Amino acid sequence: MERNSREYALWSIGMLLVLLFALIPVIWIISLSLKTPATITEGTTFWDRFIPQDITFDNYTALFEGGIDESPFIAPLINSILIASITTVIAIVLASFAAYAIARLDFPGKALILAGALAIAMFPAISTIGPLFDMWRAIGLYDTYAGLIIPYLSFSLPLAIYTLVAFFREIPWDLEDAASVDGATPFQAFRKVIVPLAAPGVFTAAILVFIFAWNDFLFAISLTSSDASRTVPAALAFFTGESQFTQPTGNIAAAAVIVTVPIIIFVLFFQRRIVSGLTAGAVKG
Amino acid sequence: MEAGAAAGKLTKRTHSERRLGWLLCAPAVVAMLLVTAYPIGYAIVLSVQEVDLRFPEEGGWVGLSNYESVLTSGLWWQDLFNTLFITVISVALELALGMVIALIMYRAIFGRGIVRTAVLIPYGIVTVVAAFSWFYAFNPDTGFVNQLPLIADDKAWFGERFSSFAVIIMAEVWKTTPFMALLLLAGLTTIDDGLYEAAKVDGASAWQRFWRITLPLMKPAILVALLFRTLDAFRIFDTIFIMTRGAQDTESVSILGFNQLISRLNLGLGSAVSVLIFLCVLIIAYLFVRGLGVRMAEGRPGT
Amino acid sequence: MTLVAVLGAGALLVGCTGSDDEAGAGTELTFFIFNEPSGAYQEAATKCSQESNGQYHITFEFLPASADAQREQLVRRLGAEDDTIDIVGMDIIWTAEFANAGFVEPWSDADAQAVTENVFDSVVESATYEDTLYAAPFTSNTQLLWYRKDRVQQPPRTWDEMIAEAERIGPAEGLIQVQANRYEGFTVLATAMIESAGAQILAGPTEVALEQAPTERALEVLGQFARSPVAPPDIDTSTEDTARLSFEAGGSSFMLNYPFVYPSASENAPDVFEQMGSALYPRIDADKPSRPPLGGIHLGVSAYSNNKDLTFEAIKCLVQPDNQITAATLGGLPPVREDLYGTKELDKAYPGFSDLIKRSIDNAAPRPLTPAYTDVSLAIQRSLHPPGDIDPQDVGSVYDDLYDAVDKAVQREGLF
Repeated sequence: MERNSREYALWSIGMLLVLLFALIPVIWIISLSLKTPATITEGTTFWDRFIPQDITFDNYTALFEGGIDESPFIAPLINSILIASITTVIAIVLASFAAYAIARLDFPGKALILAGALAIAMFPAISTIGPLFDMWRAIGLYDTYAGLIIPYLSFSLPLAIYTLVAFFREIPWDLEDAASVDGATPFQAFRKVIVPLAAPGVFTAAILVFIFAWNDFLFAISLTSSDASRTVPAALAFFTGESQFTQPTGNIAAAAVIVTVPIIIFVLFFQRRIVSGLTAGAVKG
Repeated sequence: MEAGAAAGKLTKRTHSERRLGWLLCAPAVVAMLLVTAYPIGYAIVLSVQEVDLRFPEEGGWVGLSNYESVLTSGLWWQDLFNTLFITVISVALELALGMVIALIMYRAIFGRGIVRTAVLIPYGIVTVVAAFSWFYAFNPDTGFVNQLPLIADDKAWFGERFSSFAVIIMAEVWKTTPFMALLLLAGLTTIDDGLYEAAKVDGASAWQRFWRITLPLMKPAILVALLFRTLDAFRIFDTIFIMTRGAQDTESVSILGFNQLISRLNLGLGSAVSVLIFLCVLIIAYLFVRGLGVRMAEGRPGT
Repeated sequence: MTLVAVLGAGALLVGCTGSDDEAGAGTELTFFIFNEPSGAYQEAATKCSQESNGQYHITFEFLPASADAQREQLVRRLGAEDDTIDIVGMDIIWTAEFANAGFVEPWSDADAQAVTENVFDSVVESATYEDTLYAAPFTSNTQLLWYRKDRVQQPPRTWDEMIAEAERIGPAEGLIQVQANRYEGFTVLATAMIESAGAQILAGPTEVALEQAPTERALEVLGQFARSPVAPPDIDTSTEDTARLSFEAGGSSFMLNYPFVYPSASENAPDVFEQMGSALYPRIDADKPSRPPLGGIHLGVSAYSNNKDLTFEAIKCLVQPDNQITAATLGGLPPVREDLYGTKELDKAYPGFSDLIKRSIDNAAPRPLTPAYTDVSLAIQRSLHPPGDIDPQDVGSVYDDLYDAVDKAVQREGLF
């Protein structure tokens, strides 16, 4: 009993520390977003600097001024959400097929595909921008959703495939056979046995791909030229302060805060699925 | 007769298995190559030419002289050292911290959803903004770090090499530990609880259970996490660029590549730097895969 | 895959119809420039579109806020021979580079005459390459010495005086704000100091000058300043904006910066604003006039534009005097024409210091004019940053490093 409560205390302290570690800089960003240009240097003590003295929501309202046409932020936000979501769905589908094949089936070229995927992920993206720009302009994909989704797929598939292979390898595939022996149809076997086991890997990969597409700056700024397809990280580079030299810190921080909200929702929804892995009953058939 | 029939059936099954395998991989392979084959090939071709966008009348094959320029430049080796320094330290910290966080997320007593989500937030924040906010936090005029006890009010974090490294590494670790933690957490969930029960019955301590059961079974997850994180860490750019621009000898190889490729528009030199970065990363990847001894292409050990 | 194709096509359509919405007559000329916050450029463009009587209308395609990012976008497009660009909004330091790369068209003698009438010599020089004008000067910029009237009786004339005065006030309130992050702003500072000492960086597009004695003198002053107690603690990452913020916070008595700090202080730090005075950029030696930094925007005609003749016309209209006055009154951007200083609009825009600005631009030294400008700038940054590493007692070795680096840079050899 004593050990249990001590363990409990230890884990709780651990959790608290982890929360602080993760959230203090986030609170700082929120704090920056609530400061006016005049007060950003105010204060000489820790608390004065950390918590804004004159809270203002101007940085947030400025983002939405002008509605969808003129606001520097709304269209990019929509673009980001759509592009990241579409990329994630397609990437997971393609990667799942490939990972299933690599983990379960035997065919020559598996190692080559894995090595090749890794090589693609490793090549410095900055060198590929020039030729990609030329390619897209020639084909007409410049400044379109597809123009971003395709490179995002190319550079996130390696991570997705590797993650899924790592998990699919651990799945006891003979369970599927055991289930059919027990009288389940192949589809039922797949759904009731394989899917729950594959879920952690799939949702982990989904989160990683989504965040990759969501945060990318390099492709977004080079392969777009208007709000038709510009995503939020690139849009931030176009924010202006009061003059060409002034850094619009408050606006950028506010944009970052808003842009993190969909991530929070996405993760909140998916994190449960990740840990709903093996439960004793399902495995031991 | 029977043996012959059985042998024939096997080949047919292998055949169809092969075809299925390729078929399933094809869309992914096409998607990956479509975008990268030409640009990567083009970059390699550029690296053996002398191409400068500002001087279009020049150009032509120069063999390996771009590579020679890069490899004989002290700047390359300096930046390589800086990059390795940051990579090794930040990845090591992220692995340790990530493991701890993964364990905490796994065994969360209360507020699981909140803790797990909160932990992932740093990873979801736009990199450039995160770097900016750390920069502002450590800046004497706008930040709060110098206001903490024990730290001089006018300490110039970015005025010296190792304090700059410290901030850069802190920012990197903060931002990408969630990536590690997520992969390690997912890895943890694949371990059968029954193994722990059995070990407990055998009298194994918590540490022994961790070392003997958890870690080995998490190898694939650890490999993926380490591999991809190291590859990314090696190519660090935004954080350093925003904080010091590479000054005080904190420049990374990516910034070097950016300077040649984009600032100087010297496509030949810049591509050479990119190819060299690629080769370095290749070596690191090879060492990892070999070192951890996980054969990803094999099916489940034992099947 | 079909899903992607459909979405892609849909997005393409959305992107296409956007430009058709522009209500304007005549040919559409696209103006690639950063989004100037006050809207002065937009006003000039609207006016010129109207005055063209249906010949053309100017639409904007905005570039990112930072000069480096703008250049990156422009070069990518011009390098790909993109025909959507007509008017190129260029930072003055890109002239030689764009001209040599064939990105912008040279101006005929007649047109050149029209757009350089009454324009400062220094500004015209910065728009010229190989004796031909490659861009029309649009707006200019320069730096002044800003100081606290309540702490400083007489503004100092030289760097030595300024440092001594600041040290007298003490580091708590006497800091001197500059820009010395490892970026273009530092090249601006270093160049201004070297030129003020009487040396030139380059003698020609591929020839180093850097006369030893004056250069070493400038380096001595730079090193002395960086090591003095009145150099800001964050000097090595200081930019125009952090310098402004620090000055507005109150702990500084001097600042070298562009005029944007004036309206900013009046809005963000009124108590500092009341005590803000301005003076000419400090000299290195009392007997040589200082050569303040020169900035600004030129307008070039894209070599790949489909409407070159109209673009020349449009630019000639955009740089007209009344548009320059608008840029000054709305956006605080100094005009490039000498005869506009002394008008009452400018006195309103720059109360009490419009003459200072005029004299500064007049005496300004453009940064090195060479197609390899970025190489040279990187070379200067690498040799001289951080300025605190320059030992004022031993500038010889730094001089040698600087010379070698700039020499390699103009030959475009080596890594930077």
